[in-house]
Amino acid sequence: MGWNRVAVVGAGMIPFGELFDQSYEHMAKGAFEAVIASVDKGIERSAIEAMFVATQRGTLWGQEGIGGNTVPSAIGLNGIAASRIENACPSGSDAFRIGAMAVASGVHDVVLVIGVEKMRDKSTEEGLLARAASGHPIYNRGETAPVLFAPFATRHMHEYGTTQEMLGAVAIKNHNNGSLDPYAHFRDEITLEQYLASPIVCEPLHLYDCCPQTDGAAAVLLVRAERASEFTDAPVFVAGFGVATDHPSLHEKTSFVEIPATVGAAERAYAMAGLGPDDIDLAEVHDCFTITELLDIEDLGFFEKGKAGPATLEGETSRSGRIPINTSGGLIAKGHPIGATGLSQITELWWQLRGEAGDRQVEIRRGNALQHNVGGRGTGVSVVNILTTERP
Amino acid sequence: MDVAIAAVGAAAPSLRLRAEEVAGAWGGRARGALAVCAADEDVLTLGWLAATRALRAGAIDSTAVEGLWWATTTPPFADGPSSAYLAAALQLPASSTGALLTGSPHAGLDAIVTAADAVRAGRVTTALAIVSDAPVPGPGSALERRAGAGAVAYVLTAAGGHARLGELTTRSRPLLDRYRGASDAVLRDVYDPRLYRERIYLPEIGATVRAVDPAPTAWSLPDPDGRLARLMAKDLDLDIAPSADVYAAIGDAGAATTAIGAAAALREGGTVGFAAHGGGRSSALVIDADAAVPGAFDIPQQLAGGRSVTYTDALRARGLLEPSGEPIPMGVPPGGAGFVRGGEELLGLHGARCADCGVISTPPSVHPACVGCGGDDLGAVSLSRHGEVHTFVVNQTMPPPFVAPLPLVVIDLDDGARLMVQGAGDGSDLAIGDRVELEVRRYTIERGVPIYGYKAVKEA
Repeated sequence: MGWNRVAVVGAGMIPFGELFDQSYEHMAKGAFEAVIASVDKGIERSAIEAMFVATQRGTLWGQEGIGGNTVPSAIGLNGIAASRIENACPSGSDAFRIGAMAVASGVHDVVLVIGVEKMRDKSTEEGLLARAASGHPIYNRGETAPVLFAPFATRHMHEYGTTQEMLGAVAIKNHNNGSLDPYAHFRDEITLEQYLASPIVCEPLHLYDCCPQTDGAAAVLLVRAERASEFTDAPVFVAGFGVATDHPSLHEKTSFVEIPATVGAAERAYAMAGLGPDDIDLAEVHDCFTITELLDIEDLGFFEKGKAGPATLEGETSRSGRIPINTSGGLIAKGHPIGATGLSQITELWWQLRGEAGDRQVEIRRGNALQHNVGGRGTGVSVVNILTTERP
Repeated sequence: MDVAIAAVGAAAPSLRLRAEEVAGAWGGRARGALAVCAADEDVLTLGWLAATRALRAGAIDSTAVEGLWWATTTPPFADGPSSAYLAAALQLPASSTGALLTGSPHAGLDAIVTAADAVRAGRVTTALAIVSDAPVPGPGSALERRAGAGAVAYVLTAAGGHARLGELTTRSRPLLDRYRGASDAVLRDVYDPRLYRERIYLPEIGATVRAVDPAPTAWSLPDPDGRLARLMAKDLDLDIAPSADVYAAIGDAGAATTAIGAAAALREGGTVGFAAHGGGRSSALVIDADAAVPGAFDIPQQLAGGRSVTYTDALRARGLLEPSGEPIPMGVPPGGAGFVRGGEELLGLHGARCADCGVISTPPSVHPACVGCGGDDLGAVSLSRHGEVHTFVVNQTMPPPFVAPLPLVVIDLDDGARLMVQGAGDGSDLAIGDRVELEVRRYTIERGVPIYGYKAVKEA
């Protein structure tokens, strides 16, 4: 029996991709309409008391990310309480946690958590690559996003014999899942040959090891568990969550084969939920790069250290495997619009736990699912949320 | 007071261009190898490397060096803290004195003589004289088939040693040889070669050389066109092997060439004459050695090697062939508070050691608390320059001003600190467990200002 004081009664997202014709505000509106439409018994918009807006790169990307106040106005909720939550790549996951705490505190009964990110209104060079010139002028110089994860791959390969094919197996699996997800940025399957032939972005990571730059938005509705039945007969409950931090720069890392922030966040979430890794049916984890997924599923306790690569190659994380990972296509195929990412992962798990994932549906045995993000300059923060169908 | 040479060291940049490649582009013939600075090398990084090697060869602690006399025709800051940057990177005491000498290739000899004078006067007991140069020739100029780059450092001391600095002979005559104006990127070659030979080189340098008595057993002579030194050697019956070897290895390294030749000659006892010419002056200095000087024996190895590059690569490395497009500016401007706060710790490579748990946090300016235990009883330490590769990547996708491939290396330093720095070169030979050394390199030129930091270089 976990925490179970808060229910998810709605979840929705817009199809992810390079949405050049949609503004930040239009994407937010799309996610909001999707979440309203997802509520089985319907919901009055005026029932929403507060909202938390997850967005990470508001000012950098030229979108109006000054606080949370631009979103309620844009989506027709002008006047309600709104705050912006920014916590690196787990911004959406953390907004979910904070929304759940706002409900559990008794201050609010109905809370909207919405994540939105515009990643492609600037060119790659002006946008993501420009960070190579930001931060500390010497110690962070030359750091683009792959630089923050590729050193883990080099070391994981060195210590555990993880191979390029094992990294490729993550990409192939997630593209296969993404091909079945109408919301995914990439909906094509890839072969090992295509994977190996793709250009090297940052050795040892190839192009297919990396998530794309994706625009997107996603949202969930949280209510007090006692009131869930007003909105749906198939609610999903928040069983637990955890957040942990680690030193942000790569040279401050004590290990390059595990991510302490993930280990810490998972420990707290499992303890709060009264669950362990063996109780989880499926998980959406942070696969910004293929190596990240391998690290995650070891750090979350699904596999022993060093065993994630071979297990992925053997299909243990496929939809029919022991623990399906990233049935949505993951960040690799579905995309990684930072503020929206965590909430889109929760949306996928909400569909899966309710048996609504269509072609991607996996077998739900225990009714528990785990969502995870890691981010910060160099894996400096992680958030884990655990969802359950078990009623309080 | 006698001034002795306690140790010497030299350095050459990492690229080599065959003179034939230059001739291939512009016609004609040329021979030999020319040392060319990679984009992350310049006179400061070469000078740092030569001085580091000299101090190591002589087992001399940099904190004992009381003055730095640095000569180069092209200081990285025409007006700015060139010497202070070099002194900080060498970890010289903040109280160290000295001067930056420039203006012509004659500056190399001036630095050694001026440093020696300071020792002789009792103003300092240990002085470092560094000569580093990397003349940038104009594309298609005669100079381009000869221009190289290199550096040498002399540690001078009043404490005695195997080599002593002797008499100085000098002559002055206002005649134009090389020329570089204040706004010129490249060195210009505007003189008449026949006139130069007949009216400057043979009479002026010849008179200086002839005036030295007793005659040295070998000479390190300037050789601006590859033939004049041999002509003078024939006329005056001189052994010019010390400088001829340097020209053959790295080309004409401006102010540094004959200073390197003289240092290399100190690998055995004897008397070497060291001549310099430039800016309308010719000078000769005599060095007497009764045994080998520490470091001298290594100089041929320090000049050898280098990666062969094409003429196009050399032009790009010299900054004469630039890509179009907007470079991405640094988040922190070079004169901004971030650099002021971190300048000394970056050049001196400082860490903060925790008194409670011993963990070293870097850089101190961004770590008011220990990364190991959170404690704040931190003491400044100078980090080891040696370590082992813990993990690394080679980034292939970089925006300007970065140039891919760019290796980034996480190093476990021998003192227990962990650092992530850029790797020198293309990273193709990197592996976990490799021994690497940290060398000062030029990271970038930001808004026209060179930015220096440390890079990992694989140990030989």
